Amino acid sequence: MSEFEFSRNITIGQYLPTNSPIHRLDPRVKLVGGALLLAAVMFSSSGVSLALALIAVLSVLALARIPLLHALRGLWSAWPFFVMVALLQLLLYPHAQSAAQSNALWQWGPLMVTGASLYLLVILLGRLMALILLVSGLTYCTTVTELSHGTERLLRPLQRVGMPAHELALVLTLTLRFLPLLAQEMERIIKAQASRGADFGGGRWNFVQRARRTFPLLIPLFVTSLRRAEDLIQAMEARCYLGGRGRTHLIRLRAKPIDFVALGLVVAFVAILFVANFAF
Amino acid sequence: MSESANGPGPLIKVRNLHYTYSRGTPHEAVALRGVDLTVERGETVGLIGPTGSGKSTLLQHLNGLLRPQSGQVRIDGHDTGDPRADLRTIRRRVGLVFQNPEDQLFERYAGDDVAFGPRNLGLSRSEIRERVCWAMEAVGLDFEAFQDRLTLSLSEGERRRLALAGVLALKPEVLVLDEPTAGLDPRGRKDLLAWLIRWREEQEGTIVLASHNMEDLAQLANRLYVLVEGRAVLNGNPRKVFSRSEVLAGYGLETPLAVSVMHALRFRGLPVRADAITIAEAAAEIETLLNSR
Repeated sequence: MSEFEFSRNITIGQYLPTNSPIHRLDPRVKLVGGALLLAAVMFSSSGVSLALALIAVLSVLALARIPLLHALRGLWSAWPFFVMVALLQLLLYPHAQSAAQSNALWQWGPLMVTGASLYLLVILLGRLMALILLVSGLTYCTTVTELSHGTERLLRPLQRVGMPAHELALVLTLTLRFLPLLAQEMERIIKAQASRGADFGGGRWNFVQRARRTFPLLIPLFVTSLRRAEDLIQAMEARCYLGGRGRTHLIRLRAKPIDFVALGLVVAFVAILFVANFAF
Repeated sequence: MSESANGPGPLIKVRNLHYTYSRGTPHEAVALRGVDLTVERGETVGLIGPTGSGKSTLLQHLNGLLRPQSGQVRIDGHDTGDPRADLRTIRRRVGLVFQNPEDQLFERYAGDDVAFGPRNLGLSRSEIRERVCWAMEAVGLDFEAFQDRLTLSLSEGERRRLALAGVLALKPEVLVLDEPTAGLDPRGRKDLLAWLIRWREEQEGTIVLASHNMEDLAQLANRLYVLVEGRAVLNGNPRKVFSRSEVLAGYGLETPLAVSVMHALRFRGLPVRADAITIAEAAAEIETLLNSR
């Protein structure tokens, strides 16, 4: 048990090589499919369609042989965010409207919780969960290289209108690649500070104290990131990196029949979700 | 042997320590598989082992940064496995200096960084200033000149010394060092070793250090532990450990240069001591040998 292991809780950006059918899909299909599912989740406002979406996401994770507990751990570390959103939603929901729609379940001065606002809260939280699981799922099954390659190929047609496809894909790659590294960095700095008597334990619920404790970490994290970026630039230039112009790839992406099937399934599912959203 | 605080008995006692990183996730990595270690007051204990053998993990248990997953770690009578253990007292007594100064320095100005520790101790402003001044002078950084320097503008050697000062400002009884001379030039290394010897004498301090540098350990250590794949495979006094050069070689570890030289000379039938481990001892042996011819 360690108070300092953060990398275990940052699940976005961590690839899990389970070699499942999902892992072997073309990254472009995963990106487009993921984006479609994401859009579907964002526009779901009914409980039924959201439940369907969540089931779908969880089944994709299961198909990818990702241990469920591991995926859920990523949700767990975002819990303060969930709490904050929940509180905001509950407290800022327009009262007049809700009072008209359902009875107040609980009232305290200007704050009011109604059945309607609770329902909307569940929707909102469900949506957040689905979002996090979806994005984590994408990075569990797709290596950073594949993601970068897929993004670049998808954006390539836009290069004619001036969009720098390769550079954008590179930005994506580096961001994903650096997330776990920054987590490790933060762990190291916190350990060093704890070794000199800083108090990081105790007060899991003391948010003000916890927030104040993060300030001494921000500067060193920033400085380290900048230094890393500089080192990376030098390393890339030393290996003759000159940008994306005329750059070829060792592995060519070729869509296989199964990729089209998978994409078709996703499109069909999103259509169903759309219908369910308005029907219920 | 009683293990009460400040009583007789080893200062640090590690028993059957196990630790796994990211336990329960697909990225599990076992670092320690049942390590036993004791450190008596005033001793200097060295840890050697190939990369990935668990040295850093073990060192981080010695000031309570990592808590044992199985096994026991007692530091001056405090059991770090106990959820109610007083970690701040432990960390005041045991100062851990990490390998890279970058991981330890975070304040804008050098003086502020050294003051971080004393401030956490809740000392008064004048006491903090006194400690910072003492710590910086102790590592050879002139207080007046360096206290307002930007941390980022210091040279590598100065940063290392600053990191050390930051730990010293807590006035620990035990210094735990992770590869203190890695990346230092020979002059820097010599200075640091001389400084450690002086600190040990003046403060009657205890030292635990992990190092790849066999020469450093031959000079400083009273006892060595050899850690391989999370287990302590050899331990004893340096002369004994370094004499087992074939065993060490099997683990991918070298012996100090002096040992190899003495070995080679003895192999040729020359009457030199087999247990000389420092350059100075070896030089003395060779000189005696040459004079007797």
